[in-house]
Amino acid sequence: MKTIWLKFAAVVLAAITTVAFAQTSFGQAPKAKIAVVISTLNNPWFVVLGDTAKARAIELGYDATIFDSQNDTAKEAANFENIIASGYKAILFNATDSSGSIANVMKAKAAGIPVFCIDREINATNAATSQMLSDNYAGCVKLGEYFVKTVGKEGEYAELLGILGDNNTKNRSAGFHSVVDRFPGLKMVAQQSADFDRAKGLEVTESILQAHPNIKAIFCGNDAMAMGAYQALVSVGKDKQVKVFGFDGADDVVKAIAEGKIAATGMQFPKTMARKSAEFADEYIKGKRDFAQKVPVAVELVTKENVSKYGDYGKK
Amino acid sequence: MRVVRWIIALAIAAGVCWLFPLFHVVPLQAVKAEKAAGRFNATQFAETFWAKQLVPALDKTVKADVLLAEIQADPAAAKKKYSHSVGFSDTYFYFLSGTGRVVSVSDDEISLAITPGSTNAEVTLLAGLIFGDAVRDGTGLLNPSAYPNSQDFNDISAALDHLVETRVLPRLHQQAKIGAQISFAGCAEVDDEANDLMPLKVIPIQTTTP
Repeated sequence: MKTIWLKFAAVVLAAITTVAFAQTSFGQAPKAKIAVVISTLNNPWFVVLGDTAKARAIELGYDATIFDSQNDTAKEAANFENIIASGYKAILFNATDSSGSIANVMKAKAAGIPVFCIDREINATNAATSQMLSDNYAGCVKLGEYFVKTVGKEGEYAELLGILGDNNTKNRSAGFHSVVDRFPGLKMVAQQSADFDRAKGLEVTESILQAHPNIKAIFCGNDAMAMGAYQALVSVGKDKQVKVFGFDGADDVVKAIAEGKIAATGMQFPKTMARKSAEFADEYIKGKRDFAQKVPVAVELVTKENVSKYGDYGKK
Repeated sequence: MRVVRWIIALAIAAGVCWLFPLFHVVPLQAVKAEKAAGRFNATQFAETFWAKQLVPALDKTVKADVLLAEIQADPAAAKKKYSHSVGFSDTYFYFLSGTGRVVSVSDDEISLAITPGSTNAEVTLLAGLIFGDAVRDGTGLLNPSAYPNSQDFNDISAALDHLVETRVLPRLHQQAKIGAQISFAGCAEVDDEANDLMPLKVIPIQTTTP
């Protein structure tokens, strides 16, 4: 009996020694990895989205890496291949294309990696584990109402659209037009895509202003294009005559609203979306499975009347 | 001999093209019709939803006099008990019904006093152009997760708003005489508590006069 106890004690001692040796020799077990795939880092708003998601994932105890898809579905596909091969446990995903990105999400799903969409929707309910999306339509209904209130019920205006394949572009435009089109005196004389890009927003606005010098307002599908449009107006001395409306809640635009340069924007709360998505991924890794497929996040109207409440990509 | 070879080659090529045509000629109308057939029909959906789900659900509304009293006493408790919201949002909705006396009338708004003896506008029925998601989201009957493309879900809002404008508001304008009693059911969106709780701004789904 004594021999058995001695053998048992020896085995336990050996096991403890082995674990202790492994920990001192090789350090702690490696952390699980979370990938943050962002449509483009060429826009400060998406940089905030990606950085916040990464920071929250790290806070929750993971290694996190940001991948830039550069608004290119092929680059996005390569990012997914890399992520799947590298043993990531979850993907926080800002898609480049609502239809074109589905295949990438399906590949990750097939590899057993959950995908949590942030801000940009994919047109499928059987691919991502959950999609946390700004309520773009409702936000642009509010912007449309404010547009009519401030521009008036008559006059010419232009619209700058975002990336044409993206649902956000369509939902923002649809929400805005669901209001503005009810006022027949408001005439849209130009509608062009500037790909959510500031430089293109400037370029497109310059050409619109040449063809339509009498416009009273420009509705832009995001804040980067709004800043580009504003720059174009400044260069021809029309920044006081033409009202610019954006969407996102980017810091520079919120400041521009406070300074009376931009009329309004829709605050999208990228930090809230990014943090919650990282928390969803953490919950998934810990065993939760019942996630709502679509989680809308409200968009709030930011104007000169309430701008003091907003800043740093959210509410103060 | 050479000519025969060419003829055979051409015949084979023609046969392959017949079996596997390089392109199809299709009338443009047929393509448009096919696309429309596959597309979500929000108008049709809204009509069915209105008749089969929305109107039957009016029995489940909170009574306006009860809600107003609880909002007066403790707005946070009333919100917790009766409101509904979608996703992450500070905006919330009440699905309510009640009877009130008309205290003011304009093209865009009909204001009602609900509490007996009150002369204040406690509920405002929105009666102009109707925008937004209050009717779609205010009842809690529709779930965004059921729609692969959010554009379809958004189209439902526009279609429901259109039904309010065409089915409800013309009759409401006829009913709205100062001093008249109006019973209503509808959805109120609370975006800014300082302005939206008193009076409650209700998009009417049904109105009747006793």
